[in-house]
Amino acid sequence: MKLEGYKLVFVAVGLIGVLLIATPALTDVIRLPGGEQFSELYLLGPGNMAANYPSNIVAGQNYSVYVGVGNQLGSSAYYVLYVKFGNETDPLPNAALGTPSSLPPLYEYRFFIQDGMNWESLLTFSVSNASISGNNSQINTLQLNGDAFNVDKPAMWDSNSTTFTYQLLFELWIYNSQSGSILFNDRFVDLQLNLTRTE
Amino acid sequence: MTFGSCLYSGHCVFAQTDQTASKLQAANTAVEQAFNAVLDAEKAGANVTSLLAQLNVAAGILAQAENSYRTGDSNTAAVQADSVLPIAQEATIVAQEAKQTAVVSGPNAFWFPIAFTEIGAIVFVLALFLVWRRFKRSYISKLHEAKPKVNSQ
Repeated sequence: MKLEGYKLVFVAVGLIGVLLIATPALTDVIRLPGGEQFSELYLLGPGNMAANYPSNIVAGQNYSVYVGVGNQLGSSAYYVLYVKFGNETDPLPNAALGTPSSLPPLYEYRFFIQDGMNWESLLTFSVSNASISGNNSQINTLQLNGDAFNVDKPAMWDSNSTTFTYQLLFELWIYNSQSGSILFNDRFVDLQLNLTRTE
Repeated sequence: MTFGSCLYSGHCVFAQTDQTASKLQAANTAVEQAFNAVLDAEKAGANVTSLLAQLNVAAGILAQAENSYRTGDSNTAAVQADSVLPIAQEATIVAQEAKQTAVVSGPNAFWFPIAFTEIGAIVFVLALFLVWRRFKRSYISKLHEAKPKVNSQ
């Protein structure tokens, strides 16, 4: 190889070396555009897997699910997770309009999550004071993590699905520091429950 | 006497519910203010991991208070709401201090890596230049020392 060829090799090694040395500082100075910012809400079965979700329920028995939230917003966030309970005719949140369900919240979680981190909690629930009479059923009490709530929720026999359908609804709300209020985050998960026996 | 009138009138129950609602409101406001302070500290470059852990304690109690209130247990809700306030207020103060510290040390934290990078790059280029000079000298001297081959016929 001629001297000019060696010179080119030295220049290339020099440039690569300078770039490698400057990499830590460059990451502080150059801000690459971040990805999409969002929050995630998920529901897992009792084995912390997306399987074996409670569906056919019997009054007086305990059931559990894991509910989790992930923060991919680029900064820390303050979340409120509302748990609501309804029957087959009660409205779900409107994803197109971004409006929450009109059902009143029964139970809530409040938590803060740093960017890129997750929060997860086990929710244990059971129904009691329930009755089935002909084509009508009624659940009067819902226990969530040991707290008893009067729900007095009726459900009609659904001949299509052959069930008395109830739904446990999880809605994610987030604190908006600009407006100073907690707003619906347009994220919700719905767990369908079929009351099969009263005791 | 007051207790007796409470039993018969029912006004006491409403008054207590209103009082609990206002305590819950105060606790909510305190937690939100604390979070605003933590967000400011985070934007200034402070590490807010421990602050958020502290706030999570307050938020957990606040959620319990709201749940107790919904089950109709106003007494427990009021006690829980009251216990949120000192935690949130302390978190606010610590967050404000963390923000101040981050604002003061922020420029140093920004410029130190850049300065070290510049010095490192200059030292590297100088060292490479010296190696190049030595290499070039030995290459030329080898070239001069090389004997021409004679072709015999």
